[in-house]
Amino acid sequence: MQNIISDPDQARKHDSGKERKLIGDRGDYFLNRMEGETGANISACYQCERCTNSCPVSHFMDIKPHQVIHYVQLGWREELLKSSTIWICLSCEMCTTYCPNEVDVAEIINHLRNMAAHSSITPKEKSLAVFHQTFLEVLQKSGRVNEFRLMNAYYLKPDILHERIKNKALKEDLLLGITMLRKGRLKLFTPKSRAIKEIKRVYSQTRGEIV
Amino acid sequence: MRLSFYPGCSLEGMANDYARSIDAVFRNLGIDLVEIEDWSCCGATAAHSLSQTMSVLLPARNLAAAEKLGHDIVSPCANCFNRLRFSQNMIKKKVFDIPWPVTGDIRVHDMTRFLAEPARIKSIKERILRPLNGLRVVCYYGCQMVRPPKITGYTDYENPQTMDRIAATAGAQVIDWSYKATCCGASVGIARKEIGESLTRRILQKAQQAGAEAIVVSCPLCQSNLDMIQKDRSKRHTPVFYFTELLRLSFAEHVDPKWFKMHFTDPVPLLRAKGLLS
Amino acid sequence: MGSYLSNPVGKVIVVGGGIGGIQCALDLADTGFYVYLIEKSHTLGGTMARLDKTFPTNDCSTCMFSPKLVQVAGHANIEILPLSRILELNGGPGRFTARVEKQPRYIDEEKCITCGKCAEKCPKKIPDPFNGELGTRKAAFLTFPQAVPLKYALDAENCLYLTKGKCGVCEKICPAEAVEFDQKPEILQIDAGAVIISTGFELALTAQEGEFGYGRYRNVVTSLQYERMLSATGPYGGHLRRPSDEEVPRKVAWIQCVMSRDPARNRPFCSSVCCMHAAKQAVLTRSHEPDTETTIYFMDIRAHGKGFDDYIDRARFQHGVKYRRSMISQVYLNPENENLIIETFDHHLNRKKEEEYDLIVLSSGFKPSGDFIDLAKQLGLVVNSYGFLATEFDEPVATSRPGVFVCGGIEAPKDIPETVIQAGAAAAEASILLSAARNTEIVFDEIPDEKPIETTPRVGVLVCHCGTNIAGVVDIQKVLDYVKTLPHVIFATDFMFTCSTETQQTIVKLIKEQRLNRVVVAACSPRTHEPLFQDTLREAGLNPYLFELASIRDQCSWVHGNDPEKATEKSKELIRASVSRAVQLEPLYESSYRVVNKGLVIGGGVAGMTAALTIADQGFHVHLVEKSDQLGGFARNLKFTLEGNSPASLIRYLSERVTHHPKISVYLKSRLISHAGHLGAFNGTVEKQGESIKIQYGAVIAATGGQPYKPTEYLYAQDERILTQVEFAKRLMEDPSWTGRLKRIVMIQCVGSREPDFPYCSRVCCSAAVKNSIKLKEMNPGAQIVVLYRDVRTFGFKELYYLKTRQKGVLFFRYIPEDKPEVYDENGKLIVDFTDRSSHQNFRVEPDLVVLSSGIRPDDGAKQIARLLKLPTTDEGFFLEAHVKLKPVEFATSGVFLAGLAHSPRFIEETVTMAKSAGQQAMAPFINEEGVSQIPPSACMGCGICASECPAKAISLKHCTDDQVFAKIDALLE
Ligand code: SF4
Ligand code: SF4
Repeated sequence: MQNIISDPDQARKHDSGKERKLIGDRGDYFLNRMEGETGANISACYQCERCTNSCPVSHFMDIKPHQVIHYVQLGWREELLKSSTIWICLSCEMCTTYCPNEVDVAEIINHLRNMAAHSSITPKEKSLAVFHQTFLEVLQKSGRVNEFRLMNAYYLKPDILHERIKNKALKEDLLLGITMLRKGRLKLFTPKSRAIKEIKRVYSQTRGEIV
Repeated sequence: MRLSFYPGCSLEGMANDYARSIDAVFRNLGIDLVEIEDWSCCGATAAHSLSQTMSVLLPARNLAAAEKLGHDIVSPCANCFNRLRFSQNMIKKKVFDIPWPVTGDIRVHDMTRFLAEPARIKSIKERILRPLNGLRVVCYYGCQMVRPPKITGYTDYENPQTMDRIAATAGAQVIDWSYKATCCGASVGIARKEIGESLTRRILQKAQQAGAEAIVVSCPLCQSNLDMIQKDRSKRHTPVFYFTELLRLSFAEHVDPKWFKMHFTDPVPLLRAKGLLS
Repeated sequence: MGSYLSNPVGKVIVVGGGIGGIQCALDLADTGFYVYLIEKSHTLGGTMARLDKTFPTNDCSTCMFSPKLVQVAGHANIEILPLSRILELNGGPGRFTARVEKQPRYIDEEKCITCGKCAEKCPKKIPDPFNGELGTRKAAFLTFPQAVPLKYALDAENCLYLTKGKCGVCEKICPAEAVEFDQKPEILQIDAGAVIISTGFELALTAQEGEFGYGRYRNVVTSLQYERMLSATGPYGGHLRRPSDEEVPRKVAWIQCVMSRDPARNRPFCSSVCCMHAAKQAVLTRSHEPDTETTIYFMDIRAHGKGFDDYIDRARFQHGVKYRRSMISQVYLNPENENLIIETFDHHLNRKKEEEYDLIVLSSGFKPSGDFIDLAKQLGLVVNSYGFLATEFDEPVATSRPGVFVCGGIEAPKDIPETVIQAGAAAAEASILLSAARNTEIVFDEIPDEKPIETTPRVGVLVCHCGTNIAGVVDIQKVLDYVKTLPHVIFATDFMFTCSTETQQTIVKLIKEQRLNRVVVAACSPRTHEPLFQDTLREAGLNPYLFELASIRDQCSWVHGNDPEKATEKSKELIRASVSRAVQLEPLYESSYRVVNKGLVIGGGVAGMTAALTIADQGFHVHLVEKSDQLGGFARNLKFTLEGNSPASLIRYLSERVTHHPKISVYLKSRLISHAGHLGAFNGTVEKQGESIKIQYGAVIAATGGQPYKPTEYLYAQDERILTQVEFAKRLMEDPSWTGRLKRIVMIQCVGSREPDFPYCSRVCCSAAVKNSIKLKEMNPGAQIVVLYRDVRTFGFKELYYLKTRQKGVLFFRYIPEDKPEVYDENGKLIVDFTDRSSHQNFRVEPDLVVLSSGIRPDDGAKQIARLLKLPTTDEGFFLEAHVKLKPVEFATSGVFLAGLAHSPRFIEETVTMAKSAGQQAMAPFINEEGVSQIPPSACMGCGICASECPAKAISLKHCTDDQVFAKIDALLE
């Protein structure tokens, strides 16, 4: 009898063709930094995959949540900042809630997203990165976010309109916008906060700063 | 009783109907909601995603304003609630330089939990004029209100009860289901529509499978996502109510169908069929 | 605490009536002490009484347990105090006084005749707690059919009369007038020289936790509920059903590590037994319902015991149990059919997978029972962070209070054999402590005189249902009808469980009334139950050898489960053969002879030395034979333990004591070269450096130990940068500057273990890797450590060290045996290539050093001893104990015992425990030098058949005269 406790599925798929990655060349620097900055005990992870199983969007990610943790342990900063994962993540906190080792996976991913936003790396999910960016721009202009203005500003971003046309979303978006207007769900004008100045200051202070 | 009210941006726009129903319900309950003076946006997912500093500072400004008044804050939006609590948590860690005087000690309630407290349930019960008999609903809480438990303070985060209790008090038949706290994908809903839609559609389908005639929510984004996805009129049609809309309905002697005109999925036929719109 | 030790009390209090407490009580009562067995519930039995079957033999738990219950219930020197708890414990070792509160049963134990009328008529139904609230019982109840004491009780919380003053129907109906509503709690004062805590554990998962929908969804059950669901005495009568609709579940899933290995819930330890428990349940499910699919969701399979991996393999490849290495966060409900949905992520399809199950079993971890914390406080015992009475490695049954010992699940979660072993060790400690008072408090059992028997055979046949084990297959009524037609059969009847305490009373009555002079029981197997029924015969005044057991379960219903007709026929045949043989039986008489009250211990390692001391400290002589020139054995290789203890100082302490002990003769550089005789009177020859010494002994303990496996793989012995864990640990301690220079090392697990030739797990290597990693990190925090493993098996509280290792930044990667790591030298550079099964990536490490976690093999010397003493071994050369569950330190041959690595790989503390247990058992017959009765071995004809067939006792040989055997064969051939 064979004495093998392994997942037969996994046994079948041995990617011998894949390149080998070297372990250990990057030291603990990145791991220590991430643990320090997020306060998350990343190294406690035992790769049980609960996070990935509970994540509603793991199938849209290139590096799965449990792998993110492994990558951080191995110091693979660049791979992580270039991943789609950090943008796809919904911050729904399923992973963090169910991790038996109290690894704050969602916070780690969010922190990587913050890092990526302040790095020179081109985000893999541009439309998402640009959306968040646009949101903050609208915010700092009026202190509050008017949905109509947000959508306008977003569509006018280079590439976004183009992309929307390409994937035929534009027409649908427009129709939706009109219906919303008709139903009174889009308000063209909403009050601004008087604190724009203060907020602008916060905004300009934090932009470009490595969080 | 007096509370600081942090409406959040959506209530001025997309969720204006939510704002109106909140107003009516609190008026009826005799609780004063005082809008936080010159409040500003909490930064939502965008600030969280791009800059931790902003995700702490933006809510902190509102917390500071509320602390001046001293009343507890109540937030109708799951996302705002989550961001305010998150910010408080960080303020207490004292690692951020915050330009406003703020301690983070004031209590921030999500509106459902506030109204589900036993005393409130009692006064709700007293005001019911039109019990929502026969209306079969599921309550959908989404993620931001209950998770992460360490921030939100929910211990029954898999099976939260606040809205269930309120809807049941209003006379609705509340069905238990497993998908109360799954994510609707709001944060990627615009930029990566297909991802958002796949999540929302699933929730809708599970709610229908559980036998719900309507879905009850407490978050503007959950509402609009679940509501707007039901564009295809040929499919089964499940209106999505704010929980305060149901309360308002059950408190009212006279109901104007116009209250529901902002809904994409028109609830009027259902309410008529149940005899709730006379 | 005082010096009562010069004049101690020869009585012991055992708290907790599960298998641990029962075993401990029996061990003590059999070695000259009076025992109070205190149990908080209505009955003895504990967790084991709720199990259906046990692995690896799939033996029925009730069937195994029942004889023990009967023994304990009938023991003259064990006083059972149900419904009781200790309020206060004063005094010290040697002389304790306990204040015990006994709750009312509301039914007089003395008067109750167990007719069951009260339960029948009781109008109040409640969910049955014994069955995990599945199914119901009445407020007047009997916990389970084999309960001890076998007396009904009223449930004070639910009885209508006791709660509301209404009803009272039981009082009116009880024919024995046993119902007493006005019973009050009683306070007792008890003196004892020692106290043993064996309060066991309970499930850590409660419905309030809500995890995985337990308590919310009806078809999510705990592992213990599932045991009840499978059990013949359970809520579904032994048929697999699910709670919501009582339909047969077609897809069942297990979720492992619920409330275990979960630091987030402050449950960071591993519960040790759930992996095997789940495997067993899945196998049983498949045999109950071959069309039901079974899937186990897990992260590491912890099959670290003897034969466990083999069992898992059989579960997978023979029984088709599916294993999915994936941990689940939530269970969802399909509202249409109350099925449950599990969501996982499928790596190969890059897709979320929803799988629907009819039933989900949560393998929940364990915690000390709810009120244990109060007991610990009252007794002044220090518990660990999780409430367990965890112990130290050199004193594995000692608590923080002298004179109070511990065993079983309250020490740490553990399985049945480990509990039994620990119970023996706790008994040993108490027995050593109270040696001076031995035999002072005991009463002697009165055995009725044998009545002369009539010359014509009058055979009584008792057919056992064995729950559904037999009755589920064999048509009992048909068998009975047939049996009644056989010659000489005067009487035949059937019982649900013939071995229950209550039934023994009935049998005694039957023998007397029907004037039976031969008894045939058609039931399970003579292996486990013959002695029990023989005792019953004795009690009825019938010679115990006028008994015959027809094995219609092991040899029939279990084998022909799918062919009831054939099984019924075969049962008839087997019984007919037994009746024929019974007719030929003659009474046999036991005669006394003097026991040599000396022990022989083979092997001078930690096991051998500890066993020797256990015997010698109770005043008996021991010969200790060691083949090498020094004591210490395998443990001499070990530098430090995971918990930071020093094996070297333990060895120093033990060898010092052994060498100077007046009762121990140590033979170094010696071997046992001849051995003959029987229990109580063996003689042998020790060869000591050419000299032959004749010795005599009454019992033998084989503690021949183990040896490290010398790897042939991964360049070991070819490249000096490859070390074993043992060598690595040694170097770590001896050469700090070398340790400080290490930059990067790789550890490879399971080298020479869990391989086709050596399929067992060496149990200690994962902990060794963890231990050495922590040590290296402490000495050289900059060193990077990569551990390549198959399953991390840091069971029990050792899991905490695994966590610590990870927190120190040690990296763990999983490989699979089909794709092992490759270690090679490339231009002087050491390289390790491997594929990680979690990230699905290929990696390379260039370490300074590769450390191999090489396994443990039995010592070479074991073979010679096995031959000489005719001891059975496993394929791998470990000794084979008499019974995996209940007789872990005994051989089938009377008077021969085993301990330590010779049994299977184990930790030092486990070895110490086992050796104490073996020492205690071996010593038992020495107590009463003249009182041991035994059929003289001269009666043995040495036919040899019996040795393999009935390995119980030399006595059995006499019981197999040719006539008797031929009578049976003739009958079968007729
Ligand atoms: S759930 Fe936690 S421990 Fe499990 S893989 Fe994810 S991060 Fe690691
Ligand atoms: S927070 Fe992000 S990674 Fe975690 S479960 Fe939600 S979407 Fe997945």
